Amino acid sequence: MKKAHGLMLATTLLLSSLATACSSGGETAKPDANAGGAAAGGKTKLQFWTFNELHQKYFVSMAEAWNKAHPDKAIQLEASTLPFDDMHNKLLVALQSGTGAPDISDIEISKFPNYLKGTPQLAELNTVVEPELKNIVKSRVDIYSKDGKYYGIDYHVGASVIYYNKEMLDKAGVNPDSITTWDEFYEAGKKVVAATGKPMITFEATDPFSFWPMIAQQGSDITDKDGKVTLDNEKNIAVLQYMQKLVKEKIAIVAPGGFHHAEEYYGFMNKAGAASIAMPMWYMGRFTDYMPDLKGKLVIKPMPAWTKGGNRSVGMGGTGTAVTAQSKNKELAAEFLAFAKLSKEANIQIWKQLGFDPIRTEVWTAPELKEDNKFTQYFGKDIFDVMIEIKDEIGPINVNEKMPEVNDELKKTTLFKALNDMEDPAKVLKESADQLRK
Amino acid sequence: MKNHTVAIQAVEKKRSGSLAYNQRLAPYVFVAPFLITFILFFAYPVASTVLMSFQEVLPGQTKFIGFDNYKKLLNPTFYKAIANSAKYTVLTLLVLIPLPLVLAVFLNSTFMRGKNFFRSTLFVPALTSVVVAGTVFKLVFSELDSALANTFIGFFGIESQKWLGQSSTALLVLVLLATWRWLGVNIIYFLSGLQSIPTELYESADIDGANTWDKFVKITLPLLKPVTIYVLTISIYAGFAMFTESYMLYNGNRSPKDMGLTIVGYIYQQGLEKNNLGLGSAIGLTLLGITMFINLVQLKITGQFRKGD
Amino acid sequence: MPQTKSWSVQSVLLLLLFAAIAVFTLFPIYALFLASFKPSQELLRYGLNLRFDTELMSLKNYAFIFSGDASNYFGWYTNSLVITVLATLLCLLFSSMVGYGLAVYDFKGRNLIFVLVLIVMMVPVEIILLPLYKLIIGLRMMDSIWGVILPFMVAPLPIFFFRQYAEGLPKDFLDAGRIDGCSEYGIFFRLMAPLMAPAFGAMAILQGMGAWNNFLWPLIVLKSNEKFTLPIGLATLLTPYGNNYDILIAGSVLAILPILILFIFFQRFFVSGLTVGGVKG
Repeated sequence: MKKAHGLMLATTLLLSSLATACSSGGETAKPDANAGGAAAGGKTKLQFWTFNELHQKYFVSMAEAWNKAHPDKAIQLEASTLPFDDMHNKLLVALQSGTGAPDISDIEISKFPNYLKGTPQLAELNTVVEPELKNIVKSRVDIYSKDGKYYGIDYHVGASVIYYNKEMLDKAGVNPDSITTWDEFYEAGKKVVAATGKPMITFEATDPFSFWPMIAQQGSDITDKDGKVTLDNEKNIAVLQYMQKLVKEKIAIVAPGGFHHAEEYYGFMNKAGAASIAMPMWYMGRFTDYMPDLKGKLVIKPMPAWTKGGNRSVGMGGTGTAVTAQSKNKELAAEFLAFAKLSKEANIQIWKQLGFDPIRTEVWTAPELKEDNKFTQYFGKDIFDVMIEIKDEIGPINVNEKMPEVNDELKKTTLFKALNDMEDPAKVLKESADQLRK
Repeated sequence: MKNHTVAIQAVEKKRSGSLAYNQRLAPYVFVAPFLITFILFFAYPVASTVLMSFQEVLPGQTKFIGFDNYKKLLNPTFYKAIANSAKYTVLTLLVLIPLPLVLAVFLNSTFMRGKNFFRSTLFVPALTSVVVAGTVFKLVFSELDSALANTFIGFFGIESQKWLGQSSTALLVLVLLATWRWLGVNIIYFLSGLQSIPTELYESADIDGANTWDKFVKITLPLLKPVTIYVLTISIYAGFAMFTESYMLYNGNRSPKDMGLTIVGYIYQQGLEKNNLGLGSAIGLTLLGITMFINLVQLKITGQFRKGD
Repeated sequence: MPQTKSWSVQSVLLLLLFAAIAVFTLFPIYALFLASFKPSQELLRYGLNLRFDTELMSLKNYAFIFSGDASNYFGWYTNSLVITVLATLLCLLFSSMVGYGLAVYDFKGRNLIFVLVLIVMMVPVEIILLPLYKLIIGLRMMDSIWGVILPFMVAPLPIFFFRQYAEGLPKDFLDAGRIDGCSEYGIFFRLMAPLMAPAFGAMAILQGMGAWNNFLWPLIVLKSNEKFTLPIGLATLLTPYGNNYDILIAGSVLAILPILILFIFFQRFFVSGLTVGGVKG
């Protein structure tokens, strides 16, 4: 036994000297061959990473459209879909080590701040973003900016709305248009529970899409502009208390599976498990794909406000697409990205292919958005009426370096304790906030 | 055999002419693949992880920070990860040693029919990848009343559980997953041990009038000791190294209140997700310390180290 | 044993016990198998269930996979096959050589090397993931199948196993081989290795299983979708914003096949291989 131990120590010591020599040699890596922009048949190669296959398909189609429109600047898009966490890890490592990053990459909003730390290793997009600022929902590029420089462009607004099950509300004699505040929502909820025996709404306990919009619509947030933790402020406590009250009185339940993207949740909702769900616009796709039985039964309405006339929406979730600093063709990549994310045609395609609420506001009234597709068949032709109604009420959230950590804590601990374990909201918010401020 | 001496002389001659016949060199050639990979892919990484655990590793600049990484480890999340891994390991040991041992004895008994069929059937889960098994288990243990697990306990009048939403049942699901996947493998290990026990021993015990229980305790168990120790050892590693199972059940490394976080999950989180190689290395070495300690204790108790040359 | 088998009470009870265990063992796979023939919406509607509903069942999911539109499924499949075959063959070759060398030769440093093998066996791979990852970057083996295979090509467990097995080989074969004019390596490859066939069978299954189902290390090394192995490819279908069940479920069923075939093919070696090689210590 001793022998084995001694041996190990000896080898370890011997090799640690070797180790330093080797690692310094290893780090002077040449730039990755495939990061280069070698032209293939006159086309410039651009690498694109994403974590969602649909985004990949979308970008491939936009590359084809680009090549038709700009034969002189043709590109060859090499798109790759990686597992979610893995893609973000690899991109971060590649950017930090200075080699191996693609030209263009998707970065999910809750991960984005990790890429803006220090000197961002992403390319500035001001030249393409600034001319379009007046045409788009500005907060959807602001969230990916630092010191006045834009580094990412979102796919969608992610406007939070509420989806009511019309059939269930009718049974209770509740008119969705009469619900304008959360107090009215509570009262309506009582009626629905009495009439149907089912909860009015579901809340997430392991994801933030219930809590966050409800605090952000009244101007609060989990962090402030400077990245200070504001998780335990008065407004947030009040919101979480409100949520817990609804759960206690069985007007709300915690989403089966803990969040609105759990397999069991889809099955539960599909069988009309609850009368409403407050989620961003992009949640539409989950209904069409996973909850086919609710077709024609849902209405999309603005979320209730906290006070009469208060803000009703907030842009939630999102994925910023960025050009990396390592790209050899930053300008071309940025131009293409603008084409694929900011142009009118692109925004129509984002709706058609991905079912997202596009960030370019003018297309919301475009006839293409009323065209027959799986979304209009499911929700009716006037989906975007609600967007036009809340257009000026879609608040932003604060995206900063502290946000991912606070978001993680919220998802993992705070909401679960308050809504699942029914601990005191003020106490759990304070505990989490204190933990994060350390 | 007639020309024995001639043959040997011829061979000797040939040998001296070619390295392929060099008996002194041969063993080193045979073990060379191990030595090369040992140095490159084991000793060097171990050394560098030791080194990194005392460093802050940033791109382009690395500095020594003494024991700071280890100090950072003294936090509730890490304790939770250790507690989870330890509980999981102990529970898997409690299930995956006695159960397969007894089942293997049954399978090996003369009364058993369809031996080969059951042996193969029980092995099948081990062939599925954790990605597949995790997906299935997540669906089986979903919290809907109509989910398989809830339907099953419903037969016994137990109300539906949020399996993955409470630490106790979450641990249970993880242990069940391990049991499902590894029961058949361990049965085969024990079977192989049983088959190397000479039947004469049982026959002479029969003559002495020993009953089944006596034979099991006095012959089977002691002679299965080497296999048991082997299974115990690999189970301890597997237990403390568990990660992918929890990763799959919790959509990537995120479980409420960290109820599914394991030590390796924490390495993954700190080292790869947060790219903090220094802290990740410190966690890894703590894990090494734990497994080394347990194994040395175990080897000492069972007296295996002396035999290990 | 010369005892005759009869349908005694014990037999029936044992059979019942094992039948029950077999049902528990197989039902998740059966449920997955059934689900693979149903539309994914069905899965989400009712969860995983054991209903055999011929009206709902079709080969659509499989047709979709075979149509080539389904992600890069067959690319992943091919990669997994290539990596599994290469990794298993190389591992068997080298590990058997090392195990054999340790067993039949008496040479300086033999005990030391064997202790090193034991040490490697005792250290969980997970603790050196990070430096290994840095090393693979340094060796320019990121995103290549060699980066996946090489670090674990010579594995301690098979070495240990082959050594145990080779110790039981008749030593006179060695001398006979030398007399017949075989080189040391000829003796190994032509005479001894065939004698170790059961050991190769047992290790082929264990290593093949490991390589086919390996997740964490390939996840770290591979970074382009067209190089992914099956488990990682399947994992790309799981995103925080929704999963692609159509390919996931049928794809998972297909993923079990090759390794099942390998098992059926080699299983007669499996138990005998483990028995003789013996985990004796």
